Amino acid sequence: MADRPFISAVIPITDGRYDGIEEVYYAYKKALNDQSLDSEFIYVLDGAYPEIFAQLKALRENGEDVKIIKFAQWFGESAALSMGFENASGEILLSLPAYYQVEPEELVKVIEALDENSDMIIGRRNPRSDSIVKRAQTWTFHFLLRLLTQFPFRDLGCSVRAIKKKVMEEVQIYGDLHRFLPVLAYRQGFRVKEIELKQSRKNSSPVIYAPGIYLRRLLDILTVLFVVKFTKKPLRFFGLLGTTLFGIGALTGLALLVQRVFFHMALADRPIILVPALLLTLGVQFFAIGLIGEILIFTHANQMKEYTVEEIVN
Amino acid sequence: MVTFAPSAWPPAPSSLEAAEPRFDISIVVPMYNEEESIEPMYRAITGTLASINLKAEIIFVDDGSKDNTFKRAKELAAQDDRLRVIKFRKNYGQTPAMAAGIDHARGEVLITMDGDLQNDPRDIQAFLEQIALGYDIVCGIRQKRQDKLISRKIPSKIANWLIGKVTGVPIKDNGCSLKAYRAVLIKKVPLYSEMHRFIPAMASLAGAQVTQIPVRHHARQFGQSKYGLSRTYRVLLDLLTIKTIVAYVARPLYWFSLMSLLAFGLSALAFFAGVVELWQDPSHPKVVMLGLSQIFAMLGISLVFSGVLCEMIYKFGDLKIEALSKIRAQRFGFDKEVKHGG
Repeated sequence: MADRPFISAVIPITDGRYDGIEEVYYAYKKALNDQSLDSEFIYVLDGAYPEIFAQLKALRENGEDVKIIKFAQWFGESAALSMGFENASGEILLSLPAYYQVEPEELVKVIEALDENSDMIIGRRNPRSDSIVKRAQTWTFHFLLRLLTQFPFRDLGCSVRAIKKKVMEEVQIYGDLHRFLPVLAYRQGFRVKEIELKQSRKNSSPVIYAPGIYLRRLLDILTVLFVVKFTKKPLRFFGLLGTTLFGIGALTGLALLVQRVFFHMALADRPIILVPALLLTLGVQFFAIGLIGEILIFTHANQMKEYTVEEIVN
Repeated sequence: MVTFAPSAWPPAPSSLEAAEPRFDISIVVPMYNEEESIEPMYRAITGTLASINLKAEIIFVDDGSKDNTFKRAKELAAQDDRLRVIKFRKNYGQTPAMAAGIDHARGEVLITMDGDLQNDPRDIQAFLEQIALGYDIVCGIRQKRQDKLISRKIPSKIANWLIGKVTGVPIKDNGCSLKAYRAVLIKKVPLYSEMHRFIPAMASLAGAQVTQIPVRHHARQFGQSKYGLSRTYRVLLDLLTIKTIVAYVARPLYWFSLMSLLAFGLSALAFFAGVVELWQDPSHPKVVMLGLSQIFAMLGISLVFSGVLCEMIYKFGDLKIEALSKIRAQRFGFDKEVKHGG
């Protein structure tokens, strides 16, 4: 960019994932300074991290522009990021992991790529130094995501992202959605681009996670699918599901009735009659859930705007 | 020169926001890839406005066009401060575009029309006359529709008939965008997804007086028609939603309970059959009928709970049918002067 913008780097410290605080800080700082970029660093501690807090305070005493936000308890990475962004004073927000994920000198690439034609630049770790097993996992996750939502992103696990401030004024993240921030922004009409960053050799994480983690990732994809596709019209989704189940149930019931009336097969003794009953019940319940959703939307329709305005003239 | 009914016009000044400039009418036109139509459209509207002695603004909503629509609109707006242009970040569709125009309109009467020159701004005069007569919503009926018979006219005839039957507001031509609304009313009606088709039905919730007048309709001059047959399924589900909301939203527990009575009835019937069976032949265990009874009982219970949930949602939601009632309520014999549009 022509005039050097002020960068607010937000670093959440959460889930115990961090490398040497001072070391990472100076590496990041040096990368930004080398390009003579002015910056502030905002560390958000997601819970009690007494040692890190002490180290950060030591950095402050050394005259570094380090700001610290400390949560009273664990609130998750989304909350930490939002809090950091809210308190940032720069026009460009830079989210960074507290551990080595990409080579620090690669950072400036995301900032330089953020021009008039883009609102958010996200990093993609490539070339990766991870093992083939890890890469296969990443690939599967994004393949599923692409299959279900048609979003073209290939590495949402990379938390190096440069974001214009206006994006965060409109996009809200909660729960585990911080990972999907690019997806949410993209859906709101912001221009999100992915660029390749060299993965740090020190980026180490378990090769195989606990099964619960995989389940959560899968649920994340479902959440995004829901948030993106069906939140405005729940009856379209639940209604379709409900009608299908109800239809199958009704057909099975009809078949049983025909057998009873015309072929004299006793009905009351056959457990199969429970199948149409269950299907009809399920169908009605799905429909009821869809209607609850519709009423929820209807009663709140006045506060949620379905559109995002880029510019108003006059 | 148009005159308005004294009860509604002019509005009491205290009901106006101080900072915003106010207008008598706002003309809202959603635009999607209309770079050729936009200037003739603008000329036609300003031409009509010149003959109407009212303070008017024009709102063009650029629904994320990929062509030069916004650039052209901006050029026009630079010379005319009555023209307000709203640019969407991406393409959202016709209803959100209408909703944005309505949200940002500052007039007392809003007129919506298509941006493709198929509506004729010369009809605006007739709409204002109907508003002056005291109607809240004026809908156009396109005369000699210039569209294809099979793919456009027949489906829309069926849809209009169905919408009229289900919602109880028999609008002859829901697809006609040329409509006029009293702002106090339309701004309170929730507008989302593809609900613009059902605005009259929604507004009838608030007791709006609806009338219909014939309007001119021209064939498309530029560009492609953007809407086709594929939306039928969605219209049907929307219709169901609207019907449910219009009929039941204020008393969800009542309606869900009514439904659950049916389930409980079936459950009782199956239970009775099971007990009779057991009575006649106690030697065999009878699970089928009693199982059936249990399933239906569970459905009944879950429906009651759904009703309770809806009741809570409605209670804590910010849109109340009761609030809508205030918009059109007439008050007699009070000391304090009560404003129209409360």
